[in-house]
Formats: sequence, C-alpha cells, structure tokens
Amino acid sequence: MKDAGEAVIEAVLDPSQREHYQLAWLSTVDHKRIGILYMLTGLVFFIAGGTEALLIRLQLAVPNNHLVGPDTYNMLFTMHGTTMIFLVVMPLLFGLANYFVPLQIGARDMAFPRLNAFSFWLVPFGGILLHFSLLLGEAPTVGWFAYAPLSETPYSSQMGVDYWAVALLVLGIGSVGTAINLLTTVLCLRAPGMTLRRLPLFTWMNFINSFLVLFAIPVLNAGLVMLLIDRRLNTHFFLPAEGGSPVLWQHIFWSFGHPEVYILALPAFGIVSEIIPVFSRKPIFGYEFVAGSTVAIALLSVGVWAHHMFTVGMGRPMDVFFAGSTMLIAIPTGVKLLNWSATLYGGRIKLKTPMLYCIAFLVQFLCGGITGVSHAMVPLDWQTKNSYYLVAHFHYVAVGGILFAILAAVHYWFPKMSGRMLSEKLGRLSFWLMLVGFNGTFLIQHFLGLAGMGRRIYTYPDLPGWGWMNMVSTVSAFFMAAAALVVLWNIVASLLSGPIAGDNPWDAWTLEWATTSPPPEENFERLPPIRSRRPLWDDANPDRPDPVVGPEHDGGVSPGIDKNKCGILTFVISETGFFGALILSFLYYNVQPQSGPSAKDLDLMRTGFFSIFLFASSWTMWRAEKALHRGHSAGMMMWLMLTITLGATFLAGQAVEYGNLMGHGALLDSNLFTATFYTLTGFHGIHVFVGLLAMIIVLALAFAGDFHVPVPPPALAMVAIYWHFVDIVWVLVLTVAYILPRFV
Amino acid sequence: MNVLTSLSPGSQGVQSIDSLWTVVIAIFGLIFLLVTGLIVYSLMRYRWREGEPDPKQVAGQKTVELVWTAVPLGIVVLLFILTVRTMGVADPPPAPAPDLIVTGHQWWWEARYPLSGVVTANEIHIPTGKAFSVELDAADVLHEFWVAQLARKMTTVPGHPNHIWLEADSAGSYPGSCSEFCGTEHAWMRFTVVAQSPADFAAWQQAQLQASTLPTTGEALQGEQLFMQFTCVNCHDINGTPAQAHVGPDLTHLASRGQIGAGILDNTPDNLRRWLRNPQEVKPGVEMPNFQFTEAQVDALTAYLETLR
Amino acid sequence: MISSDPTVTLTTAWPHPPATLALTAIVLFVYFRRYGWTRRAWWMIAAAVVVVLALMSPLATLAEGYLFSAHMVQHILLVLAAPAFVLMALPEGWRVPHWMERMLHPAACWACGVGAMWIWHAPVLCDAAATSRAVSGVQSVTLLLMGAAFWWQLLAPRESDRIAPLQGVVYLFAACAGCTVLGIILTFAPVTVCRAYVHPVDRLGIMPLIYGTWGMTPARDQQVGGLIMWVPMCLVYLGAIFGQLARWYGEEQIMTYKL
Repeated sequence: MKDAGEAVIEAVLDPSQREHYQLAWLSTVDHKRIGILYMLTGLVFFIAGGTEALLIRLQLAVPNNHLVGPDTYNMLFTMHGTTMIFLVVMPLLFGLANYFVPLQIGARDMAFPRLNAFSFWLVPFGGILLHFSLLLGEAPTVGWFAYAPLSETPYSSQMGVDYWAVALLVLGIGSVGTAINLLTTVLCLRAPGMTLRRLPLFTWMNFINSFLVLFAIPVLNAGLVMLLIDRRLNTHFFLPAEGGSPVLWQHIFWSFGHPEVYILALPAFGIVSEIIPVFSRKPIFGYEFVAGSTVAIALLSVGVWAHHMFTVGMGRPMDVFFAGSTMLIAIPTGVKLLNWSATLYGGRIKLKTPMLYCIAFLVQFLCGGITGVSHAMVPLDWQTKNSYYLVAHFHYVAVGGILFAILAAVHYWFPKMSGRMLSEKLGRLSFWLMLVGFNGTFLIQHFLGLAGMGRRIYTYPDLPGWGWMNMVSTVSAFFMAAAALVVLWNIVASLLSGPIAGDNPWDAWTLEWATTSPPPEENFERLPPIRSRRPLWDDANPDRPDPVVGPEHDGGVSPGIDKNKCGILTFVISETGFFGALILSFLYYNVQPQSGPSAKDLDLMRTGFFSIFLFASSWTMWRAEKALHRGHSAGMMMWLMLTITLGATFLAGQAVEYGNLMGHGALLDSNLFTATFYTLTGFHGIHVFVGLLAMIIVLALAFAGDFHVPVPPPALAMVAIYWHFVDIVWVLVLTVAYILPRFV
Repeated sequence: MNVLTSLSPGSQGVQSIDSLWTVVIAIFGLIFLLVTGLIVYSLMRYRWREGEPDPKQVAGQKTVELVWTAVPLGIVVLLFILTVRTMGVADPPPAPAPDLIVTGHQWWWEARYPLSGVVTANEIHIPTGKAFSVELDAADVLHEFWVAQLARKMTTVPGHPNHIWLEADSAGSYPGSCSEFCGTEHAWMRFTVVAQSPADFAAWQQAQLQASTLPTTGEALQGEQLFMQFTCVNCHDINGTPAQAHVGPDLTHLASRGQIGAGILDNTPDNLRRWLRNPQEVKPGVEMPNFQFTEAQVDALTAYLETLR
Repeated sequence: MISSDPTVTLTTAWPHPPATLALTAIVLFVYFRRYGWTRRAWWMIAAAVVVVLALMSPLATLAEGYLFSAHMVQHILLVLAAPAFVLMALPEGWRVPHWMERMLHPAACWACGVGAMWIWHAPVLCDAAATSRAVSGVQSVTLLLMGAAFWWQLLAPRESDRIAPLQGVVYLFAACAGCTVLGIILTFAPVTVCRAYVHPVDRLGIMPLIYGTWGMTPARDQQVGGLIMWVPMCLVYLGAIFGQLARWYGEEQIMTYKL
C-alpha cells in the first residue's frame, strides 16, 4: 500500500493519477482539506495585503513624497488593515484550527462538515467582494475601523464603504459558523479519555476563542447593519444632526474590535503553547494557569474596549475604569508569557525553525504587551495614541507576535499536512530575514511616534529625524518581503522534493502525531490510550508516564452531548450578541425625548394581541416536540402547522403595525426613534420569517416521511430551540420598545 | 529642539506626563530585561546535546505561579494610581467659559477667541505662562487636536464639545497636527501654536482685530476686485469687506501667518501663487476648487492677499 | 447629630432603625444559639458588619436621598456581600426544606440575582425606596433574599446543591452581562433614573460637603453610580468565576516538583 503521504502529493500534483482532484478540492467537506484551503486563501490575500504595505512604506520613505496620491494612500492603508485582519490572519488561524483541533481530540472530522465548507467559501467570496470595489475605482478609504461621520454618505459618498461593510458581514457569518463548529466539535466529539482537562492547549485556546467569536462578531454585524442603513436609507444613527452619535459607532465597533484582537491572539498563544514544550523536551510549565488565564483574558476582553477612546471625551470616571480594566488584562497575558519562558528553563532546547519563531514571539510579544500597558495608562495614551508609537505597538503584537506564531505553526505542522519536511536551512534563512526585517521596520516607529508623527498620513514635512527614521523602516520592510518569499519557496520546494517526514518527526506528544503524515481520511486507524495531556509521551515512556489527569469523565460535560443541540445553542448565543447590541442602541437613543414619532405612536394593544399569537406558537411548538417524542408524527405535523400559522399571524400583525405607522408618516428615517424601532423589530421579524421557513422545510420533510423512523432526526428539536429564542427576544423587544417608554 | 517632541514638555501638564514616562520606562525596561534575560539564559544553558537524557518533566509549581501573578498585580496597582494622579494634573476640569474655541474642519483649523473676538486659522497664538481653557469642536467629521509639547491630545467630535488646557511655559513655535484620520488631506491638517510673551500676544491680538484696509492702487486693487467678483466671498471672510462667509479659513490677516494650506506650504508670495494657480495640484482633494485663473489674475490676487497683514 | 461642620454631621450620622437592629440581632442570636462558635461564625460576623455598614452607617445616610452612587454601594453590599457571607457561615450539610429545594432552580436563582438590580432601578420603585422608610425596608429585605438565592447555586453548604462548575461559569458570566446592560444604561442615560436624587432634600445640612468639597453633581453621581454597579459587581462575578474554575480543576493532580 502506498504511503498516505505519497498518495496525497500525487493527488495534488499529478492530475493523471486522480481524475477529479480539482472537484474533490472544491467540493470537499473534509476538515483537513478545508484547513488547507483556508491557509491557501490566507496566503493569497497576504500577498495583496503585503503589497499594500510595501507601497505604503515606499510612499513614506522620504518626506513630501508623491509616489501615490492621498486617496490612493488612504485606500492602501484601509485595505491593508482590513485584508490582513479578516482575510489573512483569521483564515490562517481558522485553517490551522480546522486541520488540527479534530486531530488533537481524536475525532474523525468537525461536528458539521458541510457548515465547515460553507464557512470557508464565505472567505474567498467576502474577499473578492471587498476587492471588487478596487476594480470599480471606489475602494474604501476610511480606515479599517471606518469611524463615523467620515464613513457616512456625506463624507464618503462612494460605494467603497458599502462594499467594505457587506464584505465584513459575509466574512463575519463565516467566522461565526467556524466558531459554532469548533465549539461543538470540542464539546461533543472528543475521543474516549480525552476529557476537557486533558485537552492540548492549542485546542483549549481555540475552544475559548470560539466563545469570543460568538460574542464579538454579531456586535460588529449590528454596527455594520446600522451603518449601511444610515448610508443607504437615510437614517442618522451615527450622524450628529438629528441626535445621532458618532461616538456610539466607536463603542459598537470597539466592543467588537477589542475582543477581535484576542480572537487573533488566543490561537497564536495556543500554537506557542504546543511548540515550546516539544522543543524544550518537557511539558508546559503551569498548564492549569495557562488554561485558566486564557479564560480570564476572554472574560476581561469584553470589558476593556473603551481604551481605544481615551481621547474622545467620555468623562473622567469612564477613562479611569477602562484604564483599570485594561491594566488588569495584562496580568493573565503576562502570566502566560512567564509560563512559556519557564518551560524553556531546565529543558533541552532544540533550536529548530519552529522554535526560533517562538522565541522571537516571546520577546516581541513581550515588547508589544509592554507598550500596550503604556497605552492603558491614559495620560501616556494621550500622547501616543494615533501616532506611530501606536502603529508600532499593534504591529509588535500582531506581526511580531501573531504572525511569527503562525510561521512557527507552518514550519511545525507542515510535515504533518504534507508528509514532507521543510528545509531547515531555508527555514533559518527566512527566520533571520524576518527577524531583522520586522524589528527594523517597527522598532524605530516607536520613536517616530514619540517624535510627533501621526498615523494615516500620506506624507509628512521634513521635520528633524522623520526622514531617516522612515527610510530605515521602509528598507527593513523589504527584508520582510524577502523572508516571505523564502518561506514560499521553502514550501513549494519541499512539497516537490522535501524528505519524507514520517508520523512524528518532532517526537511530539499530542494526538495529531499518532497518525500518518498526512493523516488518512478518517484521521486515525487507532488511538493510543488517553490518560494524561501527553498520550504519546505515556506511550513512549511506559515506565514514567505523566500522572493521570482528572477523572475519566468530565462532570456535566460528557462527549455524549447531542451535537445538534450544541450547535443550535451556540448559534443562539451568537444571536444574543446581535440583538443585545441593537437593544442597547435602542435604549441609548431613546432615553432622551425627541421630536417626531415616539413610542406613544405605537399601538401596544394591537401588538400585544398579536404577540399572544407568537407566544402561543412556542407552546404549540412544545406540543409538537412532545408528540414526536411519543411517536405521533401526525400529531407532530398538526402542531407544527399550527405553530407556523400562529407565527405567520404574528408577522401579519407586525406588517399591519408597520403599515399603520408609515401611513401616519413615521418612516424609517423620520427620527432616531423610528430608525431604532424599525431596525430592532425589523430584524426580529426577519428572524421570525427565517424560523417559519425552517419549520416549513421540516414540515415538508415530515410529509415526505422522514420522521417515520424509530429515532427521529434532530431537525425539529433544533428549530424548536431557535423558535423559543426568537420568542424570548420578542419579550425583550416588546418590553424595551413598547412597554418601558410608556411607563418611564 | 529634541527630535522626540512628545518627551520635550513645554507646559506643566505635559511635564507631568513626561514624569510618568520616566517611571514607566524604568519599570518596563526592568521587566523586559528580566524576562528576556531569563529566556536568553535558558537558551544558553539548556541546549539540547546529543545523547543527553530527557530533562526533568516539571509540570509547574503553584507558589511560583502565585508569586508571578501577585507581583504584576502589585505593579499594575501602582501604575494605576500613578495614572489617575497624572490624569488629574494633566487634565483639570475646564473653565466655565473657554478662552479659545478651536473647530476642526476638513482640512484646516479654525481658532476663535471669544473674549477678544479674534478669528484666525491654523496658527494659534497664546501668551506664555497663562493656561488657556480651550473648547474643541468639529464642523464635519472627527478630528484630533494634537500639539505634543503643550497639551494632551483630544478628539473633536461634531455635536459634542470637548475641553483641554493649553499652556506654554516659554515662547516659541510649537508644531501640531490633526491625529484622527479625517479624509483625503488629513496629512495636511497641521497647525502651529505660537507662544508669545503677554505683551507680544496683546500686540498680536490688537493687530488681528484691525479690519483690513482697502488697497487703493495697482495690482492689489485689481486683486481685491477679483476677490469680490469671483466666488471667493462664498467661502472666505475678510473683515472690513463684503466677504463674510465662514466656510473656509478667515483671510483677514493671511499674510501674517507662517504657512498656508494648513502647513502644506510656507507662506511666501511664490507659494501663494502656486496655491492660487491650482489648489488641487498642491493639496489634492481640498475643498477649494481650481478656479483656472490666468497668470495675471494670480499675480493680482497674490498682490492683494499680501496686503492682508 | 447636626453640627455646623458637615463633615462631622456626616461621620456621626449612624442611623439605627429599630426594625433593622432587631432583625440583625435576632438572626445573630439564632445562629449562635444553634451552631455555636466555629470558624465559620466569622463569616456571620462579617455579614453583620456588612449589614451595619449598608444600613446603619453614614453610607446609609448618604444613600437615603442624597447620593445615587451611595445607594448603589448599599445595593451591592446587600445583594452581593451579605448573602454570600451568610451562606458561607452556614454549617456543612445544611439544607433547605424540601418544598424550597425545587424552587431553587438555577434559572430562578439567576433571575433573582439579576432581577433584584433591575427591579429596584425602575424609576418609580427607585424613587419610592429613596423616599419611604417602609419601601426601603422592603427593598433591603428583598435584596438580601434575592442575593441569597443567587449565591445559593455557588455557595450552598452541600456540594450536591451547587451548580456544576462549568455551568457555574456560564451562570456568572450571564449575570455579569445582565448587570452590564443595566450599568451601561445607568452610566449613559442622560435622564436620571432615580429622580429623588436629582434634587436632594438637605435634612442634615451636608450638601455643601457633597456638592462643594467633593465636587459631585447629579449627572456625575448617576454616572459614578452606574459604573459602581457595573464594574465592582462584574469583578465580583469574575472572581467567582475563577473560584468555579479552581473548583473544576480541584481534583487535578498538579505536579509539584521543585524547580
């Protein structure tokens, strides 16, 4: 039988061997192939984002430069930021997670393979959508965080911002899909013996990270939706005329944006937590503390967002509180760094390429973390924010930290994915080029910022020091480009003729190394016994295995949880973030009295009447589930039909309410009340409508006989959970929009 | 002037920030050296050598963990206290009425002195030794007022006035810029704070309050007529003439300023000509359109504008 | 005692509502009678101290119609601190009567904890509590009881009555989210939620101290109150989350070789 590695390489490179390999790759639902597709996509967009970066640096190399004009430059940095975050780092990290999380937990695939494929394809689609604006000559020029009012129509009338917003919505949906998949996979598909306490840190970090994605992305979606409604439908959410607030955009954006940087960082932490122990030949120091501090970071990260807004004028109490919370979050991160460093101590360190990148990560991330704490110290932020000092800070964490971790991961896991080893010589060369290039580019930018150079300026006057410091930065950037080329060359050359890797070239200890390189389609032929965090160490060292970790089963979170329920529940969690943001915005805008339509114009009686239909439909849905449970599929269908009818009646009532309001002149863009009211109830209505569609599909399947089986498919239970959630949201919306304003 | 302007304070408030920097650099420098030192030491001492046995499989130590959680917590508490203290010194509450109102426009700065009535653009004069309470507004999008040596940085938010204190200990010219990306020409939304002795400042104010005198002869008169005839009056304000619009910078004392175009060019007759010939070529995207003046018109207008001292 | 110096007035203003005193004394008496002096008794002492601080100290004076932020501190002490201490003082194996056991479902307990804050900040109820002694008494009692229900899931004396650790993390995080929403509203709402605090009646002559020396204004008061509600509460929840995680890892065999 052919070595599985050879088989894959032939499949990739020798079409005559596999007739339909292109189609196989395009239609795959296998997590390993999807992982590779994610990484290839990330690579392609890295070239785009990197080119943008080089052009930026070229323009800034000398003062008063005219290589590109201001609008082009502004487009370059907007696209560079957006591309690098959403189209490079996230796909690369999701790709690695996709490939290795199922392997590390001993699973055969992700929980929802088709959802996985769908989530992937949204990435190239979103990326193409964003870059399509370039073809139209109308790429966004407002910065990757698109502050209002600049991003609103009066100041950005071109379509670029719209493309940007819609592309981000598309990409966000994909990210949420991946998070749902990862969460469900880790909770439900672990091999026997792989309790949550024995999870490899890469998997644990991705698991916690998925919670962050579930909360943060929907908040961004709410903001994007409101921006699009402002731009296209004439409302004033973020325009100061008519009472809107540009600052609210910042609150919403950074409520997403700050967790986002941790979404990028946590998987990187996971990578480093895998590689450093293997190349120090001892387990990670303080596993519990590294794992626990991850949870701390995730929890705290939702409470620090306004540290991006210290100069906006939120008031002293707010500034002080956010300074405190931000400084707090430095502690768990620091604890991690110390644990990684302590893992080195007393080890037998092998300085292979993955380890080199990890060591650089440690020092560079330390530097970036330190400058981050300096930003948390508000008065220092008053000097350094929006200057090149800030640019240096976030590139130290994002590139010096996260990108270096990704490069470490590529060199570490390439043998597993391809069956070949990368060239150690080329690896070292790329590392040194990257190290020199990166630090040359960004270290000096700290000083540029302190010298007064602001960010996002297409050129600058010939002030003392600015010229040569920028030149150093620009020249070094090309070293980074060279490093990237070397990495690419290494990958291609090694794929073609690298030495065969074997199952476990690094003598590592987690489950992905317990199978062939690359793994067969079903991942494992057989698994070693799992009693500790290093099953392969135990296997290889039966005389001195790791102590057994925890009981054989997790209390309350056994792998026997129904994955479908888990999936729909995680989806529901993500929707709470979306509605939460909309409800909060509604409250924010409507605590103040405004002229024009108000809650008094709403018909509480009629809406209350129609709400009864919606609440009743929850009861009928419950009856349908009960009937199915008892095996009465006819009864189930009847109750389901009743549910659909009741839900549709509710929608009809909403339509009547809308018609009435519009008839009285209360249109979407009349004032902030109408804008928030229609947005909130409108999205709820859309969710009801989608629920109805889902129920109709289930009903059709029931009619086709799908439910006439001993163990009914989970479809009804899943739709039921969604439906009850939609009802609960309506209770909140009714309270907030109809009831509260009348009595407060 | 020190290259690192953020570390060359020119006022008490910024001095307090600078002191905080010193403490912070010391603490962070120490942390960086300690941790990097640990890493480098480990790399040198604990290299893998052929044939050696596996190292001790240490998985952690609770005491160490608690220590290196508690110590950073202590450092953070210290930094937090220092932060709050410095905030109070560097950013006291504003005065009930502002001494200066600065409004950010795309892409220039408007400065108004409510007490005296002076209105100017891009070049802000203050007397030394007196702290000005400044109200910051925005006419269109978010801007950010940043003059590193003299004051904290503050965003200007349309519809939501903000307040800072601006003070200079010694006379001089202090460069500033807009630091919140605000559109095409954000890079050239620079300004200068000129600190003068109180006597000089009073003199400047007096001069600024004078209305412009109408030129009577020659090119300057021609230029003035052109100014009133073309749509310049729709945007610019020149005291003492029918031009009273407030869309663009006030030009009453244009010739007294050091730069034009919010810092893009030094204020010389030649540069003024360049600007008039085609503002879009100098500062692409600026709100002032290209009037396609003839050379003669450009010369006349320049002559007139040069009289506006 | 009203003196010419408002600081003195405030520091000597220790209200002693008889009902509160009596109830506290009775509870302490019953506790010590039944369980005697054990190490856990210190928690009961702590609970009593918290109640005194909240309801019978200058803080209570400030909360009674003067400062919204003071009233917020009072709330937190009554809903978070005191009930937690009482639960920790109960002896091992202590259980509630059977009929109560079923009512103490995690969802109900969560609703009590989060609901307590929301309900008492409905403007009409907030005003009533600030101005009427009787309503204020009801408020204190309900805060204590609802807080106890909330903490029951995490601090019940019997391990089997407690929520599972990982569910506990979700429980606490959701509580944090719940009080965050309220905290955000309170911090940002330009209209004051508790109208009674907008124009305090200066019974004791200490307004010059509060508005003058301390620099407080109604707007700032509400902002600070909102922040107090939000941040310290969430920090407590966060701490509790770590407690839960530690509990979860509790059976962990952590290797303790010396470095």
